[in-house]
Amino acid sequence: MPASVPLPNQAPDHVRTRGPDPSCPPAIETRCLRRTFKGGVEAVRGIDLSVAAGEVFGFLGPNGAGKTTTVRVLCTLLPATAGSARVAGIDVLAHPAEVRRHIGVALQEIGLDPLQTGRELLELQCGLYGINGSAARARAQELLELVGLTEAAGRRTATYSGGMKRRLDLASALVHSPDVLFLDEPTTGLDPAQRPPVWVEGRRITSGGTTFFLTTQYPEEADRLCDRLAIIDEGRIVAAGTPEQLKSELGHDVVSVALDGADVAATEDAMVALPGLERVVAERDALALYVEDGPASIAEIVRRLESRRIRVGAIALARPSLDDVFLRATGRRLEGEQGREP
Amino acid sequence: MNEILLLGRRAVREVVRLPAATVPTLFIPLFFLAVNIGQVSKTFPSSTSFLHGQGYVGFQLPVSLMFAVCTATSGLALVTEIDLGYFDKLLVAPIRRSSIIFGRLVADLVRGIGVAAAVLLVGFAFGAHMRSGVGGALVVVLVAALWGVAYAGIGMLVALHTRNVQATNASFLVFFPLLFLTPNFVPFDRLTPLMEALARANPVSYVIEGLRSLVLEGWVVHKLAICLAIIVGTGLVLTWLSVRAIERYDR
Repeated sequence: MPASVPLPNQAPDHVRTRGPDPSCPPAIETRCLRRTFKGGVEAVRGIDLSVAAGEVFGFLGPNGAGKTTTVRVLCTLLPATAGSARVAGIDVLAHPAEVRRHIGVALQEIGLDPLQTGRELLELQCGLYGINGSAARARAQELLELVGLTEAAGRRTATYSGGMKRRLDLASALVHSPDVLFLDEPTTGLDPAQRPPVWVEGRRITSGGTTFFLTTQYPEEADRLCDRLAIIDEGRIVAAGTPEQLKSELGHDVVSVALDGADVAATEDAMVALPGLERVVAERDALALYVEDGPASIAEIVRRLESRRIRVGAIALARPSLDDVFLRATGRRLEGEQGREP
Repeated sequence: MNEILLLGRRAVREVVRLPAATVPTLFIPLFFLAVNIGQVSKTFPSSTSFLHGQGYVGFQLPVSLMFAVCTATSGLALVTEIDLGYFDKLLVAPIRRSSIIFGRLVADLVRGIGVAAAVLLVGFAFGAHMRSGVGGALVVVLVAALWGVAYAGIGMLVALHTRNVQATNASFLVFFPLLFLTPNFVPFDRLTPLMEALARANPVSYVIEGLRSLVLEGWVVHKLAICLAIIVGTGLVLTWLSVRAIERYDR
């Protein structure tokens, strides 16, 4: 994918700055936002958010946490039941049509027309945003180059792979250089090998100063992409901050002891007063020990287990992940987690 | 207007690229045309008063035209887009929601002209001829296509309210009572009193009568005017309901 193609809202290299701009009003702001569906299902239960202009903000949570509903409210696809929301400084409920001019949206379900070619789809999208004729053709070409689909541009989108469809969907959300870009679970459904290219694309796009609201159920994705994130569970925000802040609140290192049938209580008991131990979290088949100095603790952990004749499985050392943060906040691990970061 | 043209062009492209969605809709009208002519032609020879000197094919041709243009194709296209998520993409674009409906109607008009022309040509091959001439043939095709546009609202309404492919597909069945409670086989005065009353109360009867007059009688202005008035009225009501449904979608 050529890097020389101008990106949405992209400033020249010598003046480009990435990250939030505190001098601007928030790009997204919600107060006590609620959405209740028919039947009384409360998908969003009072969310307060403030996302700075130019910020990459993530919403991390499992399926059914309320991420997509929040995005649909902010994108004007669903009305809020209560509370307020402003996007790009515009009241979402009072002026939805005006909000739509300022946002780009790539929803979890890839919204492509299978009978159109990639180029036709982008040119149509341009037309819907008031870009017509040669300007539309030029913009479509520019975006096809940006997402590396120039060669497939003449093929119907039904023939595209999942990754290609996702990239085209992303491109179609960018035709009008939106101020705020919503990406709802951009890599869900893609196999792990297909996710990093999407992250790279996201990072390149945000380097132009577009505010980026991303939802994901993958901690690694949130960690790699977001300046700041909120962890959402059962319609409420349970933790918020930068990825580093959230992880550092847990401690320094995590030593994970696979129980392999060993007694949880006995293993936990063996770790009492372990030097540098900050927290112990018992999981279904492992014990997570949050310690100040992981490498130094491992020898002591092994010695204690041996002295009590407790046979365990593998012992692994890692830095705390956002999944650990989620575990601490909710008592559960995230669904879809593929494994702890190395 | 620009967005309607853009969405209309896309929908027409869809019709062209997916002939499998249009060609089968020709099967039933042509099948009925052939079977009905085969069964009834001897009963109603060309000397029959209501045939105005033509064979029975001329009497049946408008019914087949109605069959051909009344489909749930736009409704199915809409519900498929809802399923695929492309509908949401259109809803978050800064366009009037009604343009999604009107874009679909553009495709219905083009499809209607195509299938009506095809049925008319088959009718000619079976021996029908236009009493109103070439101009009448063109008007028949256009009027039939316009009825298809007017009727398309039913499929779109069901699609928007149910968001279900099966329900939208089944909405096509609504047309059977509408089509058969008409003077489709014989004129009003040869129906039983009850059937005649039902047929006279059914607006579709007058659309058939209008089309039939162009085939059998020539330019009968009052029949054509009633036919057009019913098409316009039906179109306005169903399109208004569809637009209202899309404006209220998830609101």
